[in-house]
Amino acid sequence: MFKITLISAFIAFFISTVSAAELKKFEGDALAPALTLTSLDGKEVSLQDQKGKVVLLQFWATYCTPCRKEMPSMNKLIKKLEASKTPFKILAVNMGETKDEVQKFVDEVKPEFTILMDEKGENVQAWNVFAAPSNFLIGPKGKIRYTLYGGVDWDADEIVTTIKELAKDPSKEANKQKEEVKS
Amino acid sequence: MHILAYTYKLINKSTHYTDMNHYTARHLISGIFLSLSLILLSLQPANATYKVTSFETGDAEIDVRVFKADGDKLLLGFACDQGSSVAEEATASTLAKDGIEVWMPDMLSAYMLPKLRSSLYDIPTDGLEKILEAAVKTGKKIYLVASGPDTELILRLAQDWESKHKDTPLGGALLMFPRLNKTKPEPGKPPVYQDAVGKTHLPLMVLEGERTPNRWGVGHLTNALKKGGSTVYAKLIPDVRGYFFKRNDPNVPEDLVTTQMSGLIKASLFFLGRAH
Repeated sequence: MFKITLISAFIAFFISTVSAAELKKFEGDALAPALTLTSLDGKEVSLQDQKGKVVLLQFWATYCTPCRKEMPSMNKLIKKLEASKTPFKILAVNMGETKDEVQKFVDEVKPEFTILMDEKGENVQAWNVFAAPSNFLIGPKGKIRYTLYGGVDWDADEIVTTIKELAKDPSKEANKQKEEVKS
Repeated sequence: MHILAYTYKLINKSTHYTDMNHYTARHLISGIFLSLSLILLSLQPANATYKVTSFETGDAEIDVRVFKADGDKLLLGFACDQGSSVAEEATASTLAKDGIEVWMPDMLSAYMLPKLRSSLYDIPTDGLEKILEAAVKTGKKIYLVASGPDTELILRLAQDWESKHKDTPLGGALLMFPRLNKTKPEPGKPPVYQDAVGKTHLPLMVLEGERTPNRWGVGHLTNALKKGGSTVYAKLIPDVRGYFFKRNDPNVPEDLVTTQMSGLIKASLFFLGRAH
């Protein structure tokens, strides 16, 4: 009995450490810095080209344990949003590691989203990122709307709902922002 | 063979330096190279030979492990794992054999505090000041050392010491893998540091692992530490992760750096000594 209790407590602790973080409304200069990087498979990808979609921009590293744990839930998030035809894209920027290191991780963890390489860490600095995983949820008009530090279950209902809300008509989003400024 | 390969990488790999001109950077590399080379020549494990001395303060009795040495430098603090790891005693023994005296106070037990990060902020500096006064009496140049969140305590200690002992400057402080954030990191925003950051003018050396996100904050932290008037050096250690000395799954470089920590400390003290 004691053994079962102990195992349950351990599982509960494990789950809580993965899903403890929460999306936080971004306060500050919401205009996202420019970002153009080469993907792991050699294509040039620009954040500016994603306008009209909600973008989850994540800064991560292969040695970051929460990054490894949460990536399967990011795959599930994509599937959930595809099912509801929500325009959404994940760009996961690796923080200063080599292509070999990242490829080994990708082969193992199998993320189903775009991995971008920032081998010199220039974007890490430009985006004021000092920890991993650092996440920015960017609205369809290119403005940072939420941030999140730490591991989380990305396919949780609350997050899916937030992204769906963000993805609604960009003009509505702009009006909502104006209302927030007025209040 | 792995050790030699890593040492080669440590010397040759392009690393990030802050507040160091090319000349200084080259000399730090040379210093590390020299220290590691010397250690590689004598890889036999050091015996932990120390005496425990107790210091009574108003509200605590602090036990200090003293690793005696004949040299002119004294290192006060704990390099890793809050003073309780095997690697730490081995490091202290090696340093003592090379002439650097090491005093390791057990602060958590003295104040009957649990081994938690938050406990460190409750530790007053008066007990450590008393230990510092005794250390100064040895006539040796005093350096402080701490790792992780413990670095807050030695920055606070340095600040308090400087305000009360203007005529007795310390040699410097070595901040190993410092964790000095006051609040949880927030993406897109610069870190907010503990109040003790930027309050001392003691020369400081920051060592950080290359395979930790904290490496991206080294420049920012260095600038914050300089605000107190400190000369600040910073160095990334290739291929090691955060808290590598506590990991159950150390890789070859982490094993090497844990066992050869004394080499890094000696190179760091060399540079701190040049800052005056």
